[in-house]
Amino acid sequence: MSSSTRDKVMRHLDVVGHLQPALHVPQQAPYPDLVDNAHYRAYTRMSHDVGGEPDVPITWEEKEEELWEHNTFVTCEVLAWRGVWNAEERRRRQNVDVGQTQYLGLPYYGRWLLTAARILVDKQYVTGSELSDKIAEVKKRYE
Amino acid sequence: MSKPVYDREHHIKKATGIGDPQCFKGEAGEAKFKVGDTVRIKDLPDIFYNRCQVYTRGVTATVVELVYESPAPEDESWDNCDDSQWFYSLVFKQTDLWPDYPDAFSKDTLETELPERWLETA
Repeated sequence: MSSSTRDKVMRHLDVVGHLQPALHVPQQAPYPDLVDNAHYRAYTRMSHDVGGEPDVPITWEEKEEELWEHNTFVTCEVLAWRGVWNAEERRRRQNVDVGQTQYLGLPYYGRWLLTAARILVDKQYVTGSELSDKIAEVKKRYE
Repeated sequence: MSKPVYDREHHIKKATGIGDPQCFKGEAGEAKFKVGDTVRIKDLPDIFYNRCQVYTRGVTATVVELVYESPAPEDESWDNCDDSQWFYSLVFKQTDLWPDYPDAFSKDTLETELPERWLETA
């Protein structure tokens, strides 16, 4: 079992390396016979499980957190204290449910903020139209 | 149509003043593995959410600590907290994890935590 599992794991890590979002190679709703088992596994893998993917070193920078990032963190913690989610549900939504494109494409606290809004709609604390209207109202203040 | 109603605060009420995962202490029953055991990581299907790194699947590791009891991430992330299990701290040899790991660093290890459902006797 073990060696065939390892073969599959190594192939998986190779395939997901090919699945980085690439806007110049559109993949739209392929026919079922165009997705083999290895690609199904790669497409449905958890976007936070990046260990072993080929990558290059990035520059480490000491970046102070911005005010909106602090506010976002506090908002998410308060949602936990009020029982809206627990830490694991928050991580699932921020790191996996957002999908690979948003996971890799949005700033860290951008995912936190988007997810805080999403949980409020998903659990019916606000409606989608209320949220949309509020965002539009706030946007207007800055026009 | 009415909205679903359930106790959304059951987790926070349970953990307040105690902590999480401390609030699940005593719920997992007898641990299947003990410190020093060799285990292999299962390659269970990845459906929606878990925290078992794919690069560990099929590899053997040594149990170095029984760290706490908690629901598995794949359950707790949907607020299903009735099935606590033991979490183990496991040490892997880096050369077992990565085919191209340099021989010069063959003593390197990696330590991570996994819940019991991902482990089998090696």
